[in-house]
Amino acid sequence: MPPRPRLRLSGVISGKFDFEARAAALFLLPVTVVLVAVAVFPIGYSFYISLFQLKLTRPHRVPFVWLDNYAKILTDELFWSSAWRTFSFTVMSVTAISILAVLIALLLNETFRGRRFLAIILVAPWAIPTVANGLMWKWIYDSSFGALNGALLQLGMIDKYVVWLGDPEKTLPLIANAFVWKEVPLASILILVTMKSIPADLYRAAKVDGANVLQRFIHITLPSLRPGFMLVFIYETMMAIRHFDLFFILTEGGPAQASHVASWHIYVETFRNLSFGTGNALAYVMAIVTFALAYFIIRTLGRRL
Amino acid sequence: MLAKGGSKHARWKLRLSGWTRLAVIFLFSVVLAGYVLGPFVWLASSSIQNEREIISVPPHWVPEDPTLLNFKAIFLAQRKGVTYETRTQADPVSGGYIPSTAKNLLPSLWNSLIVAVSVVVLNLVVGIPAAYAMAKIRFRGRSTSIYFMLSTRVIPDIVLVVPFFLFISRLGLLDNVLSLIITYLAITVPFTVFILMSYFESLPDELDKAARVDGCSRFQTLTLVFLPLALPSVAAIVLFSFLTSWNEFLLALMFTQTIASQTMPIVIASFTSDFTISFSFINAAGVVAVVPPVLLAVVFERYIVSGMTAGAVKG
Amino acid sequence: MKESTRTRLGCREFLRYSSVAVVAGFLTVGAATTTLAAEESINFNGWSAAVDLVESHITAFEKKTGIEVKYGNLPWAQYRDAMVTKFVGKAPLDVMWVSDAWLPEWAEAGWIQPVDQFKELTKYNSDVDKFCTDSMTYKGQQYGLTYYTDYMGFFYNEEMLKKAGIAKPPETWAEVVEQSLKIKQAGLSEYPLMLAMANESWLIEFLSAMVFSQGGVFTDDAGNAIMQDPKKGAVEALKWVVEAVQRQKIVSPATVETGELAGLKSFAAGNHAFALEPKYRLRMLNDPKQSQVAGKVKQILMPKGPNGSHATVGWMRFYGVSKHALENPERAKNVVKFVEWFGGKAEGEYRFQKFLLTDIGAGFCTRPLFDDPDIRASYAKYAKIDIIAEQQRLARKKDVITPWFGEWNEFNGAMWQSAILDQISPEEALKKSADKWQTLKREQ
Repeated sequence: MPPRPRLRLSGVISGKFDFEARAAALFLLPVTVVLVAVAVFPIGYSFYISLFQLKLTRPHRVPFVWLDNYAKILTDELFWSSAWRTFSFTVMSVTAISILAVLIALLLNETFRGRRFLAIILVAPWAIPTVANGLMWKWIYDSSFGALNGALLQLGMIDKYVVWLGDPEKTLPLIANAFVWKEVPLASILILVTMKSIPADLYRAAKVDGANVLQRFIHITLPSLRPGFMLVFIYETMMAIRHFDLFFILTEGGPAQASHVASWHIYVETFRNLSFGTGNALAYVMAIVTFALAYFIIRTLGRRL
Repeated sequence: MLAKGGSKHARWKLRLSGWTRLAVIFLFSVVLAGYVLGPFVWLASSSIQNEREIISVPPHWVPEDPTLLNFKAIFLAQRKGVTYETRTQADPVSGGYIPSTAKNLLPSLWNSLIVAVSVVVLNLVVGIPAAYAMAKIRFRGRSTSIYFMLSTRVIPDIVLVVPFFLFISRLGLLDNVLSLIITYLAITVPFTVFILMSYFESLPDELDKAARVDGCSRFQTLTLVFLPLALPSVAAIVLFSFLTSWNEFLLALMFTQTIASQTMPIVIASFTSDFTISFSFINAAGVVAVVPPVLLAVVFERYIVSGMTAGAVKG
Repeated sequence: MKESTRTRLGCREFLRYSSVAVVAGFLTVGAATTTLAAEESINFNGWSAAVDLVESHITAFEKKTGIEVKYGNLPWAQYRDAMVTKFVGKAPLDVMWVSDAWLPEWAEAGWIQPVDQFKELTKYNSDVDKFCTDSMTYKGQQYGLTYYTDYMGFFYNEEMLKKAGIAKPPETWAEVVEQSLKIKQAGLSEYPLMLAMANESWLIEFLSAMVFSQGGVFTDDAGNAIMQDPKKGAVEALKWVVEAVQRQKIVSPATVETGELAGLKSFAAGNHAFALEPKYRLRMLNDPKQSQVAGKVKQILMPKGPNGSHATVGWMRFYGVSKHALENPERAKNVVKFVEWFGGKAEGEYRFQKFLLTDIGAGFCTRPLFDDPDIRASYAKYAKIDIIAEQQRLARKKDVITPWFGEWNEFNGAMWQSAILDQISPEEALKKSADKWQTLKREQ
């Protein structure tokens, strides 16, 4: 037990309580107030709605149906295929983001001229507003006048314009690429910040032991990066699963459902079909899966939880 | 980085590996710059082309006939009351493909800036103590509170907009930037706490004990001992909360109605819905929108890249 | 200890700085607070099109009547979703732009109200194309006043046809194939016909134009699906598209990712000889600042199929009035004045409709304007007004606009795309689409 500090004004009451718990409560109070005030109601409301057969075009017929909406969506074939697409999109994106982030962090961790410049331009993809970003990629990927076809043709890598987003095989990877491009900066920063906190002594000791670059990377850098990886995995997994904007701007679920992912499915159900009951039920299913993943990641990579 | 001394032979080896190192760094830097800047260069280049040139096949990487028309429309727009006489007419004779909402871009950038800066400040005020408490104070319900925070961010926003809207309209904050500040704070703060907490955890507990022995209160320990050491991660969350607010679209779409509160992403999206749509103009708007976050990065990048901290700790 | 002295000295300092920071933060927040609009003003929402024109017309309205208007505009792509949220969230909306495709669902949900009792609004129907009045009528009641209409037009690049030695533009879809193949062989264009078949709100307009001109329909008069019928339905149209993409290769396989806008820009880049595009795009295509084929783009009547006609699809937008607007008689009176000012006449003339055309080339339902000299002069700069008027007479209302349109449309779009991608046959695609229609109809 650390010794108690001087008693302050509020300390009079504190005598009765465990000081540690009280301090923690005080420190957590603002964030709890914010989250309870702003976030808890919508989440509860969403669950409440998911128990009704609420279709906005039938405002006078809204029966309470218990968990029927859940049964309904889980037996829908399109739900499972969209879940599978979300799974592959997430795996593709998070893998690519993590690898790139580590490489970029390793680079920026070195001392060389121009690294500050690199670090600043790295923020650019992150800073482009979502809509401009989506339209930019639409323009780049366009099959008849797009920049990608133009560049590849001029470099001699293709001899004829290629169909990009319109090819169902390529749609998801291409959207993932645009997503990764925008997400990599934050991931790199999170990894880099963690890398900076690795004590230099560890490396010195390893060097004395005669470990080479690769050995040092595997035995010191990677294990020390665990907290950084935890952040990146959790954040990027959550972002990839719920990602919506690029699907909306680039393909609207097409061509022929090739990019009909779970988040798009929820949007269509809620806003296109105006079926709020099933839409919210879908969202809850997604939330539970996401939460389970986050829990798993924390349990595996978190050190002290 | 290089160890001093050693035999002649060893030094030679090190120098060689130094050259390899430089080559690898150079190569990788070029690849990285290309990857990051490739699409961006195209964005910037097309923003100074006219609408006719931008659709060229193959694309013109360097504009043949560069024009600042788009940027002029953004910065020199009149924002007074519009009458029949002063309205813009997209007449083909004048080649006017500038969207009629162009004049809204600068006011919306100002709104975005107010929102983003407020969210950053509030994030720090609310998030730092919470992260410290979770990392360094042992109390019951600690892991529950972490999972509680994360659980507020697992439901997709698309179904949350309706209840959020009810909440905001009950508060009477529709078409008011305060609505965005409140909600953005709620969507960023869980990650802020999570990121900071993980960093605080990596700092040794002995620091905490030493500070307490010195007679610092919990609050003082946090602000005087831990915060200075955690500057890299604080810089990271400044960027994170700023950019999340800067980019947020869905909630802003629902809560704002007029330019009194509309933020930049909404105004940029509005450029896509007029009878004349100019990609070059949208790209120009994108270029302008990137500037404030990049300036922010110029200020905060040093804390992240150099690992600059206000104190020093030996691990 | 040295360390602790430094620390303690800093304690007070830091507290001071941090409190300043907190106060500054709250000041920023406070400064950002804005006052809410007065309750008496009319709350009007539209998507971000012709914003300057709308504002100027509002300025004139406010000056004339003294009624204050609060005008909000949102991006078109998200407009419907935002309005749905606002309706569900009981936001105080009075007047809003409504697309014909949303009328049944908004009416069923009780968000917009009939205006039949206001004779000062319905009196304008006599000047309006019947197709337009039909498009804002649901279950026998009229839900607003129109201000804009347009239709799917068929454009060709005159120069490219000449180069290929084609004297006369196509009359039928068979001639489109024939001429396209000729142009393709001459190496003038890889994919001579531009069709935009990406999944977006434009898709149903493209599909309907193809289906109507082939002599088909999606549904019969009783509202039952007959799109799957090989003769009367949509099968012929879909088969034609699939053939054009898969076999004749006159339409790019990228058509399933090409939206209306991307298609327009591709046509403006000179990539194609023929295109289906909304008529108002003619203006942009013939503008040398925006298009590389300016001056060469001409309109002809929609080609017809063996059993079809030159029919095309038309759409319209109108001013809808909310429940909230009509609850209070005083507000209702103001709102009706406002709707008349925009959707009817302002100071004795169809001013808004006219400016919409002369400013940006957007069409109107009010037929008398076709004889207006300013309008004729404006059209003459980039098009032939007679063809425009003639094709508009042949424009038809979409026959799938029902409360379940949104849900069916999403599914139907995916089915057409599957057929175009050769994943399923045209017959199967339309069979599934028809089944979906019938299921949704039963549920409602």
